[in-house]
Amino acid sequence: MSIINYASREIQFKIVYYGPALCGKTTNLAYIHERISPANRGDLVSLATAADRTLFFDFLPLNAVVIKGFVTKFQLYTVPGQVIYNATRQLVLRSVDGVVFVADSQWEKMEENVESFRNLEENLAQQNISIDEIPYVLQYNKRDLANIAPVNYLEFLLNNRKKRVQSFEVISSTGQNVFASLNAVSQMLLHKFSKGDGVPAAAPPPVAAPVEPSAPKIATTSQL
Amino acid sequence: MNSIPALTLENVASLDGILGDFLKKADADLTVVIDRGGNVISQFGDISVMDVTIIAALAAGSFAATKELARRIGEVEFNALYHQGNGSHIFMNSVDDDTIMITIFGKRTTVGLVRFYSAATAQAVSQLLKSLDPSAGHGFTFDASDVTAGPVFADR
Repeated sequence: MSIINYASREIQFKIVYYGPALCGKTTNLAYIHERISPANRGDLVSLATAADRTLFFDFLPLNAVVIKGFVTKFQLYTVPGQVIYNATRQLVLRSVDGVVFVADSQWEKMEENVESFRNLEENLAQQNISIDEIPYVLQYNKRDLANIAPVNYLEFLLNNRKKRVQSFEVISSTGQNVFASLNAVSQMLLHKFSKGDGVPAAAPPPVAAPVEPSAPKIATTSQL
Repeated sequence: MNSIPALTLENVASLDGILGDFLKKADADLTVVIDRGGNVISQFGDISVMDVTIIAALAAGSFAATKELARRIGEVEFNALYHQGNGSHIFMNSVDDDTIMITIFGKRTTVGLVRFYSAATAQAVSQLLKSLDPSAGHGFTFDASDVTAGPVFADR
């Protein structure tokens, strides 16, 4: 839920990085924290276990563009990806304005990707939000690894809905397309906020067309 | 969930009045009103030494994390939480279903005093937030060109 404060001339937005366990959500935030000007960011707060697994959430506050004298403040959160932490994911999703869904491109993670996307839809539905109403983009992460699924297969699994969204081939460890996807979702929610009528019609297309492979069958998000 | 699309100058002045009065009576350092998603709605007091945004995010998480604990003893949630430090302490209390109030205080006062005055303050804040009309919209419009001129965030 964006909040606009006419006294402090600030607009606040909340973006949540969502996805299965170990898909690279925290790595996204760490890269953004490292690369953004210190003047425009706060501390990266990470509530992790001793093994560096996200236990509660990671949090990074950012200041961005000034629009008509109002500073836009973005709060970036990650959710814990492990299945058992669903209550925490529901908490972090409260008042969300935009989502970056981070999918793991490795073949063996396909079911986890689809399950996590379905979980996102369910948890948004609990807040009476449809996934089609909220600005979101897809990241196909770990594109530098050897055992990865082709992008059109990931599109088939995750971006095969009536309304297709922007998607990015990402290597979060090197930063490839990390800022591109953050900027895309930020633009989408700023447009939604400015007009109150959803995302801009001229959004760039996804990276590839969805193609059903001959590989093992996994239920797609459009079939869920 | 109640939507709080916009806080006008008048709303903020009213909130500041309520929170300022509370800080004076309770002799606390800082009070912050947040929604349960961790967004800061209003703040009053000495904010020079801490990042209020981060405190808000962590406090919302802390409040929610104890909800299950409360359920185990037959409560819906704990209405208030107190974290005791050596010199600085945090007291958090529920304002309404969507809002929490955080108070940070030191050695000048006591948790009893903070707790006593925070109850009436929470009630006043709740009434003010309820009086906001969510259907009125945020009333802030701008052109798409204002945001598409360049990337929102720049990679150094």
